[in-house]
Amino acid sequence: MHFSMLRKFVPALFLIVSLPLIAQTDWIKTGTNLGVEKVRLAVPDFKAGQGSESLAAAFDQTLWNDLYQSGLFDLVSKSFNPTQAPGQPSEVQLNVWASPPPSASMLAFGNINVANNEVTVQGWLYDVKNPQTPQVLGKQYKNGATVENTRLIAHKFADEIIFRLGGGIQGIAESKIYFISTRTGHKEVWVMDYDGSNQKPVTHLGSIVLSPRASPDGSRVAFSWMSNGWEIGIYSTELGRPVNFARLGGTNSAPAFSGDGTKLAFSSSRSGDPEIYTSDTTGGNLKRLTNVKGPDTSPTWNPKTNAQIAFVSGRTGLPQIYTMDVDGSNVVKMTDQGYAISPSWSPNGQFLVFAWTRHYGPGAPGAQDIYIMDVASHQWVQLTHDGGRNDFPSWAPDGRHIVFQSSRSGREEIWSMLADGSQQTQLTTNGTNSMPNWSAK
Amino acid sequence: MAVRAEIFEEHERWAPSLIASTVLHVGLTAAIVFTGWANFHHAGENWGGDTSGGGGAMSATLVSAIPLPHPVEESQNVLANDSKGLSQAQPTVKETPPPDAIAIADKKAKEKPQKKAPPAPRDQKKPKPVEEARNNEIPYGEGGPVGSMYSNSGTNFAMGNTKGGISVGQGGDFGNRYSYYVDAVRRKITENWLRYEIDPHTPPGKRTYITFDINRDGSPSNVRIEQSSGIPSLDISAQRALQRIDTFGPLPGGYSGNKVSVEFYFER
Repeated sequence: MHFSMLRKFVPALFLIVSLPLIAQTDWIKTGTNLGVEKVRLAVPDFKAGQGSESLAAAFDQTLWNDLYQSGLFDLVSKSFNPTQAPGQPSEVQLNVWASPPPSASMLAFGNINVANNEVTVQGWLYDVKNPQTPQVLGKQYKNGATVENTRLIAHKFADEIIFRLGGGIQGIAESKIYFISTRTGHKEVWVMDYDGSNQKPVTHLGSIVLSPRASPDGSRVAFSWMSNGWEIGIYSTELGRPVNFARLGGTNSAPAFSGDGTKLAFSSSRSGDPEIYTSDTTGGNLKRLTNVKGPDTSPTWNPKTNAQIAFVSGRTGLPQIYTMDVDGSNVVKMTDQGYAISPSWSPNGQFLVFAWTRHYGPGAPGAQDIYIMDVASHQWVQLTHDGGRNDFPSWAPDGRHIVFQSSRSGREEIWSMLADGSQQTQLTTNGTNSMPNWSAK
Repeated sequence: MAVRAEIFEEHERWAPSLIASTVLHVGLTAAIVFTGWANFHHAGENWGGDTSGGGGAMSATLVSAIPLPHPVEESQNVLANDSKGLSQAQPTVKETPPPDAIAIADKKAKEKPQKKAPPAPRDQKKPKPVEEARNNEIPYGEGGPVGSMYSNSGTNFAMGNTKGGISVGQGGDFGNRYSYYVDAVRRKITENWLRYEIDPHTPPGKRTYITFDINRDGSPSNVRIEQSSGIPSLDISAQRALQRIDTFGPLPGGYSGNKVSVEFYFER
């Protein structure tokens, strides 16, 4: 009898012994055609404490705009929200938010208070469908009580929500856009928040400045300017003044920082014909990359690998987009017709966005629009259709937004859109604004 | 002697024969000609079918109308496809004659010179461990408590909420607790899946199952094809979709495990 009982035990014993060894992982099973809808997110106004109404208004508006601009959410219209805005987790009734009319799947709420000239914001993100453990995020922010700081807090909170619900997307709410504006009378470099607010001048050179490009860490902005001939200039945002860059002679334009910020690529005609050169950030270590008759300009680095550069070349006649390795070899032609300029390489290294007039020449309709092309397969999609001349596209660091200049409103202005061409928003209204560049910081 | 001998005593009367022969030949010829005319004279018939107006051109049909054989879609029905099914064949037991049996001499059994004594009779072949059954295993208890086979054996070992081992009651719950994370994973993969990489002639409904792990920091690892769809371009495009993704976002803070396994299907 013992023997047969032991027989039953032995496999069980094996199991006990191996218990700590079997690290059983949790499984997720899902698939592609189960629907990829946008997350339905409800964002009621934050509960405003005494004396914080103006700040609360700025906060609510900024938060709403950031979440809308991300293109990830189906925001519940504010008129659907229940009349009592929750300010604390204890005040939240999830069933009210889950049922119609809001029918939300996520809820972002909180409160904002001012005390001792300091604004304090508490924000939560709740999963409405999960009553047992609804909290996804719980954050508290404190700063001096100004509108500026309140907007910054709203940007931070929005970025957190986007990071959690978007699957690791680094939000762009705190990013900046550099651009050229004529409103001081000269073309100078200006900077603004990614949503068009807070527009400020950067350079005061009193000359013509073109094509600003920020370094990946945001500490420097490169541009080309007229100072006894066209030269490359670098402005340090940390020091607040221009810094040194070698004078090269000829016409130098279109500087572009590499993805790690250690090198600069630009176009120079110091040898007679505009060619692509690379140098370090002070202009030393000059290396020439192209060697063909015909102007080569507008270089842009592959920010993921730092091993390729896309540029515009007129070596076959009209300007076309090419890519080459960073030593100048392996030149590949990307476009095959029309007039293509201003390439910008996406942060994940997969796409090029550029301005293209596909039917160019006498008698052709000739609209200049922004196109996106998959580098590997050369397949392209047209992003803008609404008329005007669209030029100078630049990728946002999240790889989901593009800023560009458009003349569709009658004058050159800066516009932004999602990378599929939707949600095109005008960012500037004052003066003539052109040549935008999206900076991570 | 110019003698003309009248050899022939009687005139051969050849005229009637000649006339008969002539008539026969003429008649035969006429019959041939008539038959030829009657059979092969077609008044105004057009080649190439019924084209009124006498165009006479052949109409070409588009190649796609030619009924090419459809790519065979493997049905899921266990009886209708090549899978081994849910049952397994019993290994055939080789009948060994009892040791003291005398072999019956058959007619042709001459004394063949015995080269070598045959090797010792092999042991009865052990039944091969069944590997194929794994695919058809009905999955149970994945991520959940261990199957009840052992827990009911009356033994006393505690199968409670042991930490660091099998998580009872919590396992398999990830999707319920963190459904927003699952949605984000699904969205990210679908965004990075480029369908133009798939052969356009693939019939709809084909699925590739890919398994991978998501580490604590959100990066995918250990990507492998769990079940191929049989279409290489679909499998490769599925793997490439995973390769394009750097991170899904860190695992939710409230989750204590180090990684999550994902089984994801790509359906054409």
